[in-house]
Amino acid sequence: MSTSVDPITLAVVRGALETAQREMTLTLEKTGRSSVFNLAHDYSNALFDHFPEMILQGQDIPIHLGSLIPAMKEVAGFFGDDIHEGDVIYHNDPAYKGSHILDCCMYKPVFYKGELVFWTVCKGHLTDIGGPVPAGYNPAATEIYAEGLRIPPVKLWEKGKRREDVVNLLLTNMRARRDQEGDLNAQYGACRVGERNLIALLDKYGVKQIQACIAELKNMADRQMRSLIEAVPDGEYFGSAVLEDSGHGFGEMEITSKVTIKGDKLHIEVQSPPQIPYFINSYEGNSMSGVYLGLMMFAQLPPPYNEGLYRCVSVDLGKKGTLCNAQEPAPHVNCTTTPMETLTDAVRKALEQAAPERVAASWGHASGINIAGIDPRTGEQYVTMVLASIISGAGATQVMDGWHACGPLCCFGALSSGDIELLEYSYPIIIRRYGLIQDSGGAGMYRGGSGTVWEVEPIDHDMTVVAFGEGRQIPTMGAAGAENQLIEPKLGKLVVKGEQEQVYKANTILTVKPGERVANFNPGGGGFGNPKSRPPEAVLSDYQNGLISLEAASQEYGVVIDSRSMSVDQQATAALRQQ
Amino acid sequence: MRNKYRLGIDAGGTFTDFVLAENNGELRVFKSPSTPQDGTIAIKAGLTQISEAVGRSIEEIVQDCDLCINGTTVALNALIEKKGVKVGLICTAGHEDSLEIRLGHKEEGYRYEADFPPAHMIVPRHLRRPINERVIGTGEVDQPMREQEVRDAVSYFKAQGVESVAISFVWAVRNSAHEKRAKEIVQEMMPGVFVCTGSEVYPQVREYTRTSTTVVNAYLSPVMRRYVQKIDDYFKSLGAKYPVRYFQSNGGLAIGEAMQGRAVNAINSGPASAPQAGLFVGKPFGIDNVITVDMGGTSFDITLTKDGQTNLNKNIDFLRYRIGVPMIQVETLGAGGGSLCQVDQYGMLQVGPESAGATPGPVCYGKGGTIPAVTDANLVLGYLNPDAVLGGTINLDRDAAIAAVKKHVADPLGISVEKAAYGISTIVNLNMVNGIRRVSIERGYDPRDFALLCAGGAAGMHITALAEEIGSTTVLVPKVSSVFCAFGQIISDVRYNYLASEPMRLDDDANLDALNAKFEDLEQQGREHLISDGFNTDDISYTRSVEMRYVGQIHECNVEIHPGKICREKMSAILDDFHKRHEELYTYSEPHNPVELVNIESTMVGNVAKPNFQTLESRGDTAEDALIGYRPALFDADGHWTDTAVYSGPKLDVGIEISGPAVVEEPTTNIVVRPGWKLVLEPNQCYRLTRS
Repeated sequence: MSTSVDPITLAVVRGALETAQREMTLTLEKTGRSSVFNLAHDYSNALFDHFPEMILQGQDIPIHLGSLIPAMKEVAGFFGDDIHEGDVIYHNDPAYKGSHILDCCMYKPVFYKGELVFWTVCKGHLTDIGGPVPAGYNPAATEIYAEGLRIPPVKLWEKGKRREDVVNLLLTNMRARRDQEGDLNAQYGACRVGERNLIALLDKYGVKQIQACIAELKNMADRQMRSLIEAVPDGEYFGSAVLEDSGHGFGEMEITSKVTIKGDKLHIEVQSPPQIPYFINSYEGNSMSGVYLGLMMFAQLPPPYNEGLYRCVSVDLGKKGTLCNAQEPAPHVNCTTTPMETLTDAVRKALEQAAPERVAASWGHASGINIAGIDPRTGEQYVTMVLASIISGAGATQVMDGWHACGPLCCFGALSSGDIELLEYSYPIIIRRYGLIQDSGGAGMYRGGSGTVWEVEPIDHDMTVVAFGEGRQIPTMGAAGAENQLIEPKLGKLVVKGEQEQVYKANTILTVKPGERVANFNPGGGGFGNPKSRPPEAVLSDYQNGLISLEAASQEYGVVIDSRSMSVDQQATAALRQQ
Repeated sequence: MRNKYRLGIDAGGTFTDFVLAENNGELRVFKSPSTPQDGTIAIKAGLTQISEAVGRSIEEIVQDCDLCINGTTVALNALIEKKGVKVGLICTAGHEDSLEIRLGHKEEGYRYEADFPPAHMIVPRHLRRPINERVIGTGEVDQPMREQEVRDAVSYFKAQGVESVAISFVWAVRNSAHEKRAKEIVQEMMPGVFVCTGSEVYPQVREYTRTSTTVVNAYLSPVMRRYVQKIDDYFKSLGAKYPVRYFQSNGGLAIGEAMQGRAVNAINSGPASAPQAGLFVGKPFGIDNVITVDMGGTSFDITLTKDGQTNLNKNIDFLRYRIGVPMIQVETLGAGGGSLCQVDQYGMLQVGPESAGATPGPVCYGKGGTIPAVTDANLVLGYLNPDAVLGGTINLDRDAAIAAVKKHVADPLGISVEKAAYGISTIVNLNMVNGIRRVSIERGYDPRDFALLCAGGAAGMHITALAEEIGSTTVLVPKVSSVFCAFGQIISDVRYNYLASEPMRLDDDANLDALNAKFEDLEQQGREHLISDGFNTDDISYTRSVEMRYVGQIHECNVEIHPGKICREKMSAILDDFHKRHEELYTYSEPHNPVELVNIESTMVGNVAKPNFQTLESRGDTAEDALIGYRPALFDADGHWTDTAVYSGPKLDVGIEISGPAVVEEPTTNIVVRPGWKLVLEPNQCYRLTRS
């Protein structure tokens, strides 16, 4: 049937679907209450068809890339025949293929002339989900039950009527209720805006024609991925990555992957150690995202993205009860960054073996904070994840230096850190510094992008700081012979500046008092190629711009700079580089 | 019109366009090659043509103009080519990287692409100098400014040869004292150097947008100032009675003094008049869904107007720079008559984005160009008259065009010259179609619902092919097509946007007196500005809008409000409008939740009387009366020549139907009527093409 689609109509439908999705995103951003929604883009909007297969995911964050697909099927399956026009379903539970419980997802079936044709889906990170620790990141939790409210698939609207009792049950369990209610409304608005666009599209072209177009769009994605895989020699390829001990005491752990390519099919097997009583276990939905991100770093495909892309890909996440295939009661809230980014590294590494010409360095992992307290301006409670605190450096590629301030790996440039004036408007804080960190980019012929530091001071109140992530002990993976000499500036850390300065390299919960400051450093991106072959002029320029120190110029790049004349000492450089 | 003439001059990358409207309704158009090194040379050349055509001296014509209007791409070209001046930025310590962090975001569409580079930094990191000072959100000073650090920064700028200084401090929009003082220090230490502050250029909340807008303004304003001074001096020397007006990106006019320090307001001024010109032309046909495509020598600009409305952008990335000030939404590509055609290392034919520009121009201009351009291909294909004299001065050399296409495209690809020329045309069309899709299909508009309005000297030769590709069945080509933006400018008003931040909750405690005072202050400034521009109070009007949101939201909804004092009743009407607007946009509202007002805007308009235009009447001619002859032209990829009728546009009578294939030659543009199309000249001096 796909061949009968008129190419102009196909293009228009594709554009209209993208517009529907984009307007959902816009609605969420414009109407959201928490900075996570209205500034930081920690959300994903997607459209599904009646099967339900994903027909379009926006270019929102990769963390949700894979998890939406199984979750949608799980939710639709849970209600079976009991899905009606006007229903709205909500869900966050990883046991039902959610990512982590802060990512609350709304699913709205779209009916046309009595027939279920689409789903509009909006997943977003709420700033709180109840539980003992504000923002949900509880490093002391040994079970998922100690992390916050689990929401299995539940209807918030039934046949058009809002179930006030259920909505109230959810909101009563969350901190900063007004923000959470505003964000829930924003998600509802997003789903309805998507629905409004889709109905207009159906009015214009009819169900049959639209479905034919969608089938063709999925086939196109499938063909594209297959042709990429077919170009890679058949074989088995292996990758592994080490996950640091971010404060749990179980030591370093290794995640490995095996990629098998046969013709135009690709199979990925993941192996990880047994799950642990610490919040870094990843359930199936989230792990699929980690695997798919590694795949996309290899495929480097332009949009649009739909489920057709993965038709030729199969995934085995390893034994149940392991770190990357966790099961109840494993605690998990940190999983969307840790271990997801290490899992992505492991998959990426195996694909590097398969297709070295597609190698790029890894990006800085997330090492960030949430903040919470009572806003002295209003007496109301506030809580938020600070996405600005996790903006790490991007990896260098075959052709260029990594982007500064574009990470972390699990978000791949999709986040926005938010304007500092808007953040200061929303929360009782003064942002003292938001800037690039010297020597943080991985050394290489192409340098990794710089990480950022976010330094904040509470105004007239005690501020709770909840740290999460890792990247504080192992620097970001480089590629093609990149090597670091100055390790410390390339790592994340948390520094509290009070009467004394205290440095933290593990996940902790702190109280910061007025007059004190807390600075969160996150890692730079990995370098690409031998740093000794970086052109001395590029090293000089980095030095003049304060991106690297004199010490880094000589130790990492073998370039001797005369800082008074701001020039390269060619002779000394040649001598140093020959050593 | 208060006088005999109105003159519009639009300086593009390749040609400078002229429109002269006379109070008897007559409209004349002229073109002369642009002279980027000194814009007045092209203007002189154009005025000389006008003088000859009208039979009066340049001085007499200029003195008889009620308005001389200049649209310019000076700022735009400087930004595209990175040829602004060397800028130093003075900013709050700790935030010197906000320009480079760019909110930590990578643009959509490139998520997984490994070779998409970061944006070029106008101000490299070492020229972004941090100053210890801090104002907080309430406007209170948290940390006084260390003046010595400003002095040190300026000394560094002097040593580095900085030519322009931007100052942008956090929360200066609430308290601009530090910015003002820093500006004084810069002016004292670097007299004559351009300096601007964030609170002047874009007085709205959002540090990154404000800093970026200020930096772009500092980068371009000195370039703009040099240009404006030259033009103003020239017109003064001709005895012009009124100051020259310049066209801004917001779709309105301004005088030179306003432009010199605000180049960022003119950054995309060229194409910004296209939507209103398009609506003007489409009106007699009842068309208010218009896509305008303007193909000049260097670039291809697209605007989309749906139901008579064109989007005004604020706070967008333009050429990857965040710009706050309001601009008409335009999509621009590097595709024009001057776009160069070459075979790349992979053996693929590439057309553009590099352009031959005004000099050397296409090979057929005989001004030293060696690499073929799109215009050369059009000449080879028979779309252009080989004996034509372009812009009054350029004789075309078809043999040179054929030789260049052969050497640089046909031979490397091993194909015939015909196929190569047609391939060039196909590829440049494809590039343009993709651009049209971006503004229409990708935003969910079906281009088949729109008329395609053809503008710019080069578009007429591509327009029917483009329409076929996007499925549009109506094409409008006004006689003034080749100078369309200059035409849009002479039917435009003077327009200034006055912005301010005045955050307050709109509840019983709202300080409406403060709000009224702020609006009145803005409008008073605007009125004084317009009066100094030469407007009478009667000719001044204004509109107001406010940006509002629910408490806790960060982004605002724009709500138009009526002029006049805001009282309690009016406030509740404004609130109702806000809830309604929120519901329209996002499907829901929260009438029980508190609402706050953030930014306010008064758009001040100096109303300019519109010229009358002649309506054509049939003389009872036939098509034969306008037929010049036949020449071979190519309309398909196989390289078959078709003997094609060529008509003279100026001789063609109203209401006569011409069937394709045909070419209609106008003095400043050629219209290629591909097979399957019909063309009729309508009474409003516009060709209407339809496809059967």
